[in-house]
Amino acid sequence: MAWTDEELVARSVAGDADSFNQLIHRWERPIYALAYRVIGRDEDARDVVQETFLRAFRALPGFKGQAKFSSWLYRIALNLCRDWIRRQKRTPVVAAPEGVDVIELASAQGPVESIEDLVARNQLSASVAVAMQKLPEEQRTAIILKEYHGLTFQEIADLQGCPLSTVKTRLYQGLSVLRRDLESQGLTRARAAERAS
Amino acid sequence: MSEMCTCDDKDQLVAYLYGELGDEARRRVDEHLRLCAACAEEAAGLTHVRNELAGWAPPDADLGFTVVPATRAVDRTPQVLRPPRGWAPATLPVWARAVAAVLVVAAGLSIANLQVRYGAEGLMVTTGWMARPTPAAAPATAAATPPSSASVPAPVSTDWRPALAALEASLREEVQAARSGAGAVAAGTPASRDNSPTMQRVSELIEQSERRQRQELALRLTQFGRDLEVQRRSDLVRINQGFGQFEGRAGAEIARQRQMLDYIMRVSAPPPPQ
Repeated sequence: MAWTDEELVARSVAGDADSFNQLIHRWERPIYALAYRVIGRDEDARDVVQETFLRAFRALPGFKGQAKFSSWLYRIALNLCRDWIRRQKRTPVVAAPEGVDVIELASAQGPVESIEDLVARNQLSASVAVAMQKLPEEQRTAIILKEYHGLTFQEIADLQGCPLSTVKTRLYQGLSVLRRDLESQGLTRARAAERAS
Repeated sequence: MSEMCTCDDKDQLVAYLYGELGDEARRRVDEHLRLCAACAEEAAGLTHVRNELAGWAPPDADLGFTVVPATRAVDRTPQVLRPPRGWAPATLPVWARAVAAVLVVAAGLSIANLQVRYGAEGLMVTTGWMARPTPAAAPATAAATPPSSASVPAPVSTDWRPALAALEASLREEVQAARSGAGAVAAGTPASRDNSPTMQRVSELIEQSERRQRQELALRLTQFGRDLEVQRRSDLVRINQGFGQFEGRAGAEIARQRQMLDYIMRVSAPPPPQ
């Protein structure tokens, strides 16, 4: 039987390190995905994941369950990402080649996808990543939490410490900027036309 | 258009896009989008952006963090251990790692053909591919050793001497044969070559190596050809895209220049006669 997060937290507080390792196993990938998308660097995202769980483990006795364990982890990770961005003092940039190494990807391609499609999809993904990194951190984080982690507006507002209407505004502004950016590269319209055909 | 939903109500639009509206509010937005082309176009555009966002995935990182609580009284700091990149042996149980180590050592010893013997002269350890010489391969040692040594195993203490003598004789024969030329080799030494386990083994190894190299070469050539083709096609796609962008920009620039010329012609034309 799989333990719930709350049960694993209780067992971890009682000194069962294996229970906390189960929590890590359950949440390390979402936390990594969040950190990677926010700060845009694989190695630094790993650092954030490590530090997030270390802080969570240390602070576990003080966790009283007011919020969901996942929300608590997200908050720790987002604070660390924010610290990282402040330290960088510049807009982080996703290493585009990570996503556009066509040779490497082509070697792993499936039989149904042509190389042209592969290149186009890959370039599109890199374009989205770069466009996301141009957004202000608050807008980018709101979009990431909504799009990839499925949080509600209220949960995002709690995490970002802002009113619910501000979250919606950030989402609208962020999506609008992304739309302009991607359309200026001829991406969304071309894709929309492809889908329509 | 409903008074509850206007073109400026972007919060409603966002909530609509993410499905966080009640039935009534959703119906009102649907109605508005049906009537307002601008808002409908914007909603469609933002939906496309969301579709594009869905394709952005982080790298498939090999994670596997574990927490190690402090066990010593002096060190009260817990640690979250970061897995090594690539393979993570820390995730294997101790017994599995011990079995793996034993297997690796056994495989190494078998490859090295290690032989350990203990006799009157003490401990002997031999390695390599040199097997003990057979009596047929060591005619030169017949005089030096008693006849019974061919059928009865010699004592361990003296076993290495005839073996060494046989090997020396065999090597001398081969060197002699090599010196006497290719014809002599073909005519006079095949029997000795066939009888030499060392030479047989070397021939096998060379053959295997050549086979491997041929396979490797074929593989590399195939891979190179494929990489070249992939690169060529991806370059073509990029070039096409580059041309498309260039044409778009050039077209926009021409249109702008044309507008400017029209404007100049208009303002520089003499005023019509009154």
